[in-house]
Amino acid sequence: MDELIAESGAPRPVAAALLQLIDRIGEDELRSRQRIAERDILTMGITFTVYSDGQNIDRAWPFDIIPRVIDGSEWDGIASGLSQRLRAINMFIDDLYNDQRVIADGVFPADLLAASVNYRPQLRGIHPKHGVWAHISGTDLVRDDDGRMYVLEDNLRVPSGVSYVIENRGVAKRAFAELFQRQRIRPVDGYTDELNRLLTSLAPDGVADPQLAVLTPGIFNSAYFEHSFLAERMGAELVEGADLVVGGDECVYMKTIGGLERVDVIYRRIDDLFLDPESFLPDSMLGVPGLMRAWKAGNVGLANAPGAGVADDKVVYAWVPDIIRYYLGEEPLIANVPTYRTMYDDERRFVLDNIGDLVIKPANESGGYGIVIGNRATRDELDRAAAAIEADPRNWVAQPILSLSTVPTLVDEGIEPRHVDLRPFVLTSDRSYVTPGGLTRVALPKDSLIVNSSQGGGSKDTWIIDGMYGSGPA
Amino acid sequence: MAQLLARTADRLYWGARYIERAEDTARVVRAYNELVVDYPSQEMLRWEPLAALAGSDTSVYVPPSDPAGEITVVRFLLADRANPGSIVSTVAMARENLRTTREVMPREAWQAVNQLSHYVDATASGAVERQLRDRFLVRVVEISRRLDGILESTMTRSNEFRMLRLGRLLERADMTTRVLGVAAAGILELETASRGERSIDQVRWMSVLRSVSALQMYQRAVRGPIDGLSVVRFLLSYSAFPRSVQGCLDDIRGVLSQLPDPEVVLEVLDETQRALSASDPDVGRGVELDRAMEATQAAIVRLDRAIRDRYVASVV
Repeated sequence: MDELIAESGAPRPVAAALLQLIDRIGEDELRSRQRIAERDILTMGITFTVYSDGQNIDRAWPFDIIPRVIDGSEWDGIASGLSQRLRAINMFIDDLYNDQRVIADGVFPADLLAASVNYRPQLRGIHPKHGVWAHISGTDLVRDDDGRMYVLEDNLRVPSGVSYVIENRGVAKRAFAELFQRQRIRPVDGYTDELNRLLTSLAPDGVADPQLAVLTPGIFNSAYFEHSFLAERMGAELVEGADLVVGGDECVYMKTIGGLERVDVIYRRIDDLFLDPESFLPDSMLGVPGLMRAWKAGNVGLANAPGAGVADDKVVYAWVPDIIRYYLGEEPLIANVPTYRTMYDDERRFVLDNIGDLVIKPANESGGYGIVIGNRATRDELDRAAAAIEADPRNWVAQPILSLSTVPTLVDEGIEPRHVDLRPFVLTSDRSYVTPGGLTRVALPKDSLIVNSSQGGGSKDTWIIDGMYGSGPA
Repeated sequence: MAQLLARTADRLYWGARYIERAEDTARVVRAYNELVVDYPSQEMLRWEPLAALAGSDTSVYVPPSDPAGEITVVRFLLADRANPGSIVSTVAMARENLRTTREVMPREAWQAVNQLSHYVDATASGAVERQLRDRFLVRVVEISRRLDGILESTMTRSNEFRMLRLGRLLERADMTTRVLGVAAAGILELETASRGERSIDQVRWMSVLRSVSALQMYQRAVRGPIDGLSVVRFLLSYSAFPRSVQGCLDDIRGVLSQLPDPEVVLEVLDETQRALSASDPDVGRGVELDRAMEATQAAIVRLDRAIRDRYVASVV
């Protein structure tokens, strides 16, 4: 299905004003606005980094001018579903690192936890502020042909893309100024303030005006632009591991031109295995020796908490609906994509028998890597996937092939439907915040389902619309 | 406000130096260009002395097809990525450094850096040709000036701001001495040619002043016809002129006094000051001017070292 155009070919009500405008200005004017938008992106230095041929290349962020639009009332339902999901997931993580009631009660299998590569047993017994581990998440949503939104993935480790949500809006506002004037489109600028509030709330007890820092792996990371953007917007310091040191007092300090200065809260954008060579990978050059000691002693706040990734695993994903029911006593408001767990004999048999009609996913890859789409794979690729599943059934899941919804997109051939997904960002502390909309990623080649920007995907602004200003007709 | 991260201090300082280097190189090439046009047509003004901007021991190979060395030297200074002092290289280095300091600079300032980088990447090779050269050089100077204007009018007077200023000022002082070094090389060349072309002396010194955009200010400050000695004194010691070495050192002193614990650097600055005051070369002789500029440059290098030791390397 298409997000903007109904089966009848008529614009959906929420997209009527946008499509009328595109119709009125024509493709040439639309292309000229697209070019202006691309120039804006270049001069504003909105980039992402790709690694190819042994070189890191700083590329202009790919942006399609035609936005995706969602009606405000539909969005409110989705936002409630996302807050619900993250509340439950956080209770689950906290439980796994403490009492493990969920295992004792037979809801979650113990051997699954034992086999998890993202569980950090050295963190057992820790109970972070608000009981929250995954403060910042970027949940991937897709809409299937039935018109329903499904959660495709929970990204709980270091999800990226939120800076592009905000930058895309800046560009879209200039491209379609007349639409922003007439329609109530929810602003997205508030995110960095909310993030600032959240990080501030993680400060050690008694620190009134905490020093915040964004910890980046450095300029070569694909999301460096975002790290810098968030630090800039929050007035936080952007630091690398080598800028920080843990003192004898188990506090974290940064090296300034005036000497050492205390850091109270770190938004870490480094994978937790690299965070602290004392606790995790001993040869990590990115991390800060002693950071875990400082965190355990309550001398520094960390977001996301190390170990939060235990719930960000395509196998654990299959249990999230049960997790929501177990901790909250509620039915999930947003559905999971039905997921076959190849660790169970009957489900594995079904997957192997129907492998050509399923999507096969490795448990712990991100960025779309390692995924086999059954009806697009060669016989040979399917045989290799089947062998990999048999060799390590815990490491795979399978899902039916969804037909992602489309949005009209300006491509070389003209304005054509292209498949999209949506990544809203959810902040969880003593309360929840969901970005209005999120990052819409679009697969630019015809019929492609791969939306990742590292693999040729583009992006669109996402408008949550609450009707028109004034009382005129839509 | 938090103290400035030592790593960020380093990147700001270098970013600003590279931008200033690009701007000053553009100014110098532009002035030489004008000199070429003004030069008596029976004389061929060679371009090789200009290559000394990259250091007095620089030599470039000039093919016979390029008798004046014009295309070779201009390409070397504008578009040669193998020359770390060329405009393309310095702008690329400036962007690499400042890309890691976006969060502490006004957004508009980063956009100016970015614009400069895109412009130079797209245009530098074409600007080797005379036709496009001047427009390119003017544009490089303009964007660099705009960047300074943005910082001047929208950036908090913080230590971040001060590190950018220090980088600018130190590079500017260095470049003024390099311009005088180039003049020395030019005089040397005339001496070797032993043609004793004193008649064109005035044109040449005028060009030196133009290289640092000082011609008009010099004429307002110094009465009478342009002569080499007063040009050199003006560019070294006339502190009221902001591109003179003395003017830069005074400004550096002002910036340092607002940074934390600058004492060790101030001591080195005093030495630099003494070295500058001691140099009063006989400008008639190329060798002597060249030697005096080398000494001044060496003093500036020591100052640079002291700034970096204090604010970057020495930090715990």
